[in-house]
Amino acid sequence: MHILIVEDDEVARDSLARALREAGHSVDVASNGLDGLQMASTTGVDLAIVDRMLPKLDGLALVQSLRATGRKIPVLILSALGDVDDRITGLRAGGDDYLTKPYHMSELLARIDALARRGEGNTAETNTKLKLADLELDRMTRRVTRNGKKIELTAREFQLLEFMMRHSGQVVTRTMLLEGVWDYHFDPQTNVIDVHISRLRQAIDKDFDKPLLHTVRGAGYSLREDE
Amino acid sequence: MGPDQRILGVLDTSPFRIAIVYSIVFACAAAALLGAVDFAVSRVVDGSTDNLIEAEVQGLREQMLVLSRNDFIELIEQRSQDQDVRGAVYLMVDPQMRPVAGNVPAWPKEANQDNWFYFRVSVPYGDETREHEMRARPFPLYGGYRMLVGHDVQERQDVKSLMMRGLIAAVVLTLLMGLGGGFWMGRRILAQAGAISAVATQIMRGDLSQRLPVRKADDEINTLAREINTMLDKIEQLTLGMRTVLDSAAHDLRTPLNRLQATAEGAMPGLVPGSPERRVLERVTSEVDHMRSTLDALLRIALAETGTVAREPVDLSELVASVVELYAPASEERGIALSSSVAPGATVQGSRQLLAQAFANLLDNAIKFTPDGGHIRVLLRRSGSEPEVIVEDDGPGIPADKREIVLGRRVRLDEARKFPGSGLGLSLVAAVTKLHGAHLVLDDARPGLKVSLKF
Repeated sequence: MHILIVEDDEVARDSLARALREAGHSVDVASNGLDGLQMASTTGVDLAIVDRMLPKLDGLALVQSLRATGRKIPVLILSALGDVDDRITGLRAGGDDYLTKPYHMSELLARIDALARRGEGNTAETNTKLKLADLELDRMTRRVTRNGKKIELTAREFQLLEFMMRHSGQVVTRTMLLEGVWDYHFDPQTNVIDVHISRLRQAIDKDFDKPLLHTVRGAGYSLREDE
Repeated sequence: MGPDQRILGVLDTSPFRIAIVYSIVFACAAAALLGAVDFAVSRVVDGSTDNLIEAEVQGLREQMLVLSRNDFIELIEQRSQDQDVRGAVYLMVDPQMRPVAGNVPAWPKEANQDNWFYFRVSVPYGDETREHEMRARPFPLYGGYRMLVGHDVQERQDVKSLMMRGLIAAVVLTLLMGLGGGFWMGRRILAQAGAISAVATQIMRGDLSQRLPVRKADDEINTLAREINTMLDKIEQLTLGMRTVLDSAAHDLRTPLNRLQATAEGAMPGLVPGSPERRVLERVTSEVDHMRSTLDALLRIALAETGTVAREPVDLSELVASVVELYAPASEERGIALSSSVAPGATVQGSRQLLAQAFANLLDNAIKFTPDGGHIRVLLRRSGSEPEVIVEDDGPGIPADKREIVLGRRVRLDEARKFPGSGLGLSLVAAVTKLHGAHLVLDDARPGLKVSLKF
């Protein structure tokens, strides 16, 4: 994937570029908003990571201009501001995701993966039936089966599983779960998400040979079929 | 607002109340004034009538002494005919009370000994007759004969009743005009106050750019509105200033932290897991995490305290239930019974994220401090229309003399040091509570801590 980084902080930009290249992406960098906007509009960029405060053209203005020209590439906004409302402002300006500094590289990579997948055609968003190996989830009837056997889930476990299945094969972080399933944007101090996941794991993996829900050390979780 | 409510609203306004009070006072004053005038007029007129009658009685008594009975009767008849009945009345009766002479058909039953009295006489007016009121005085003649002399006071009565009617009309008119004027003024004030409170609501929701509507007039309300607007300008400047300071502080702290994190993380892949260098870097990133969560909490507290947070209607019932649900597995893991009772339909104006974090902090704390196998109760109830959220645990609680202190920034009681946390949890709860105009009370749950947020 071709990723554009628009970031004025050199240290952050370089390490971000390196990490993305290591993850197998090709990377372009811009150090101010105007260059960033130009590159995002012309080159074959698949995804842009835009810092919110940039010289020459502010990050939010960049995203707005980009959207105004009809460019639909996914944009992740990085911010060093407060938060609470800044996040909403960022998303309203046309950003697809919002991450506050300092962030873990694993968090950023997971979010980029999710954004890239979302840009690929949105099949998971519109399908009423989600399927992974022998695990099936029907969003209409709210029925979950594995290997044809019905699995009883609470409403929240169902939402959690649905979110994981939409992102199957990707790493999903705790914050992504908290945002995507609960719509909360803060870090709980205790391991609340882990306990929810272990419940879900009990429900979908316990009686079956092949586990589907995996823990990714230092990053989060992943729902995938291990070969 | 329906028409009934609008009328009731006007009745509740201060101008309307003032108008009612003033119309009642004016009506009473008018009544008192006219009553006094009536009393004075009566005294003067009655007095002169009485003098007139007294003089005549005196004259007749003297005549009685010098005239024979027949001549006296003749005299009475003469006077009765001379006098129009509208001027004076005379009646002489024999000991059996049969009329002997005079222009009154019968001895009035109102007559009592020699006292002054009033009675009514039919007076011809062309073809019809009217009852006229007379003031009269009876007195004894010789040999059981009696006599009365009276004067027509109907005119005075007419004037009096005219005055009474005028008085009543004036009182009623004063009341009506007072009520009408009060109602009109009340509506005007209500319209102005309504416009002002609509704007004030928007301002309280965080839109500090709004200003109160000001008309050209220089009345009290407009002057007040103008002054409030000046105040709002200052508040907006201050808040914007605070916000700028916060933003740049956030930026200046987050940027180096981010560099630190990026550098440490960037160096890690090249190091053998478990090597001392790698462990140092892992330590660095975990400290960055810790600083970040403290910084987040401090910034959120500051944001809540400056009030520069967008507000929206928040379904409090849904929010409390969902936070409880978020923490349910974690508390179950510890063998803590987390029970909740959430009244439906409670909403507040505010920031969903901040409220969620406040409740999460309360549950975080409760789970942290409640011993395994303990109890946590979450209650959302609506006392009146205002919701109240209560979180109770049976942990060690907070001593009464330290409850105020823990709401301040970065206070961790000695007993709490063995638990992880930034020590900002309750401070954030306090700031968020204040932002939402709610009331935060820490209390003893016997045993344990009872936290109550009253909106």
